[in-house]
Amino acid sequence: MGNNLYLVGVGGQGVVRLGQIIAAYAIEDGQKVRLFKKVGMAQRGGPTLCEIRIGEVSGSRIPPLSADLVVAMELAESVKALEYVKPGGNVILNKSRVYPIHIMTHPEKYPGEEVIEDLFQKTGAKPIWIDAKKIASEISLPIAENIVMLGAITLLSSFDKELMIEVLKKNVPRQIEKNISAFLAGYEIAEGTQI
Amino acid sequence: MIKLLTGNEAVALGAIEAGVDVVAGYPGTPSTEVMLNLMAKRKELGIHMEWSVNEKVAFEIAAGAAWVGKRALVTMKMSGLNVAADSISAIAYSGCTGGLVIFVADDPGTSAGMVEQDSRYYAKSMIIPMLDLASQQECLDYMKIAFDISEAIKGPVMLRSTTDISHVASLVDINGQTGRENKKREAHFERNIPKYTKAASAWCMAQHQDALNRLTYALDTIESKNYNKKYRINEIHFEPDSKYGVIYGGAVQGNLLEVLNRYNIKVNTLKIGMVHPLPENLIKEFLENKNIEKILVLEELDPIIESEIYRIAFLLNKKVEIIGKLNNALHYTGSYSFALVKEALEVLLDSDFNNQDKDLEELMPILEEAQDLIVARPTSFCSGCPHRGTYYALNTAIKNLKYKKDDIIVHGDIGCTILGMNKPFESCWTEVAMGASIGMAQGFKWGGIEKPVIAAIGDSTFFHAGIPPLINAVHQNAHVCIIILDNWWTAMTGFEENPGTVHLKETDTKRVDLVNICKGCGVEKIDVIDPYEPQKAIKVLEEAIKHPGVSVVVSRQECALQAQRRKVSLPKYRVDIEKCTGCQICLNQLACPEMVFHPKTEDHKAYMEISVDCFGCGLCQYTCPFGAIEVIEDGK
Repeated sequence: MGNNLYLVGVGGQGVVRLGQIIAAYAIEDGQKVRLFKKVGMAQRGGPTLCEIRIGEVSGSRIPPLSADLVVAMELAESVKALEYVKPGGNVILNKSRVYPIHIMTHPEKYPGEEVIEDLFQKTGAKPIWIDAKKIASEISLPIAENIVMLGAITLLSSFDKELMIEVLKKNVPRQIEKNISAFLAGYEIAEGTQI
Repeated sequence: MIKLLTGNEAVALGAIEAGVDVVAGYPGTPSTEVMLNLMAKRKELGIHMEWSVNEKVAFEIAAGAAWVGKRALVTMKMSGLNVAADSISAIAYSGCTGGLVIFVADDPGTSAGMVEQDSRYYAKSMIIPMLDLASQQECLDYMKIAFDISEAIKGPVMLRSTTDISHVASLVDINGQTGRENKKREAHFERNIPKYTKAASAWCMAQHQDALNRLTYALDTIESKNYNKKYRINEIHFEPDSKYGVIYGGAVQGNLLEVLNRYNIKVNTLKIGMVHPLPENLIKEFLENKNIEKILVLEELDPIIESEIYRIAFLLNKKVEIIGKLNNALHYTGSYSFALVKEALEVLLDSDFNNQDKDLEELMPILEEAQDLIVARPTSFCSGCPHRGTYYALNTAIKNLKYKKDDIIVHGDIGCTILGMNKPFESCWTEVAMGASIGMAQGFKWGGIEKPVIAAIGDSTFFHAGIPPLINAVHQNAHVCIIILDNWWTAMTGFEENPGTVHLKETDTKRVDLVNICKGCGVEKIDVIDPYEPQKAIKVLEEAIKHPGVSVVVSRQECALQAQRRKVSLPKYRVDIEKCTGCQICLNQLACPEMVFHPKTEDHKAYMEISVDCFGCGLCQYTCPFGAIEVIEDGK
């Protein structure tokens, strides 16, 4: 039924860019791919969604319980992906938080990591946590949060690491060395969770 | 060669390969990217393309070009089709000499608001052949076919997409394409009064008959050019051992094939790619198959194909059970998801495909729990958006005039303007259709609303359909206050140009000033305000609201996102933490995305911070009662 990747986040986090890179990888790898990106006011801090379907599929959207991999770039947005996790599927959660105004003034209304972990556990998934913002900042390329996630995605989806780096080079024209560092950092974290 | 293309990208490519000579359109989700993709190649192609003032004009541009023998394309969303309908219908009756394709995108599931209308009715009511797109590949192929059919029948052809086709990317085979067809077509128009005018009833009836004849030619053309075989426009598939049939059209194809494939189901199928005129012979052939006892009709929105299936089954005296909307098995609204198509097939086959539903059922309590955790992300204005200043000034003016917020009805309009309905402004009460705010406001006054009634409309929306109701207001001396939020761009759909745009790059278009339009329409009370200067803006708005007659206030400042692209640099602001009391007045009044509030902790008091991405509109400085917001860079 193909390889289905369900990506959520908020505008500005590079969710759609991430999806486009994965789609470019699939093409480079000689596979069929379909890409859905939610358009709308996501650009302005609204929720974003990107679905990548690799292989022999014909529908444009990932059916419930069918995502081989769920990726949340923003912590609270992850709950919107719960129903798509395939039994036995992987989940990668970024610790980054983007607060809308009512949360800024009442941060206690924002769900904590434990609550989210617990929810995913209940569905049978074991999320992998990444502090992509911290890692990207350490590489002094804070914008590369999504590329850190791409590293982890590459490992968990068993994508070819070298080929993905080639695709990255073609698709990320600026600061490529730092982007590759971000990518490798994400890859290694995911590797660490697999031991 | 294979390329990953969205439906809209493939439509644009199809038009280029068909050798289109003239293109016009008006932006609207989910159709906009067809033009955007074409516009990006305007210079390279060297053909005339334009974002027209509205869909009706855009269509007339395309139709005019087609009347002089050229291949012309017009693009719009479903709402735009309503605007253009008057001219489309008239041209459909007359026919044309060149190829004329009308691309329209419907939005089942309303990804972008507006009416969830089914544009297929228009094909029927205006007697125009319509191809309905079911895949991204078809976007490329059918655009070319549409031009061929149009030229063959000498009449317009409609190409209809939906969101799930237009906004999804899949691999499109562009093999065997020879690039842009470079056929030179001479501009020529023959004087033919009975064909090109409506000035006599006999001519009109003859035109009506001509239009009907063209429908038959369209089917003949598909047949003679062997398009069904080559491009699977209408395709029948018989499954010898199945008594079930599925008849479908449009975007639902993807999920249908996936369900059939996933659960290894074999049924008879009939795909309908030409939705008007329907391939009646194929439908008959399908219904006459003796094995078939039960049929599911899958089509998003209205039961247009389905009704015809009932009709043809009746004519054939065929006893068949039909599952669809007319027996309440499927709904009219929303797009048809995998789950919905699966359920429909379960009804058809009277069986459960697997126990996945049980898994979902078990998930339900968890999903309900998750529902409470969802963090709402209400859409508001972008950082630096001039509309923030306009609505802030408007709300303050209303307050200063001793009205409560609930006293004054503000009609919003299509585009970014309507975001004024959201918190913290909550200024707008209604949103109807392009330009409707100005007409509706007059109706409210004549209907007896005694307090001031206001219309708030964007620049592009005003150019599009706001001018006739403004003339009407002047003529009738209606006591309405019209605020034109002029940000120079058709911003909501992605910064397309409009007649008032000040271009970023060199252009050969001429700018039309909407202030002059208002004056020309006879408006006597007209003011221009700067939404970044609330003090002055509030005073002007107070006077305008009080004015006994038509008043127009043009609130003028470029869309901040475009101004940034133009490298406009304004003063930057910061918060003096000593003076900041953490009162949140600025945040509550403006909801600026660059404001970061830090609640009180053991280490520090509550305070506001302005992020480095501040555009510099300066409104926050105006709202701060403690003078805690100051300029740090002068912006020069």
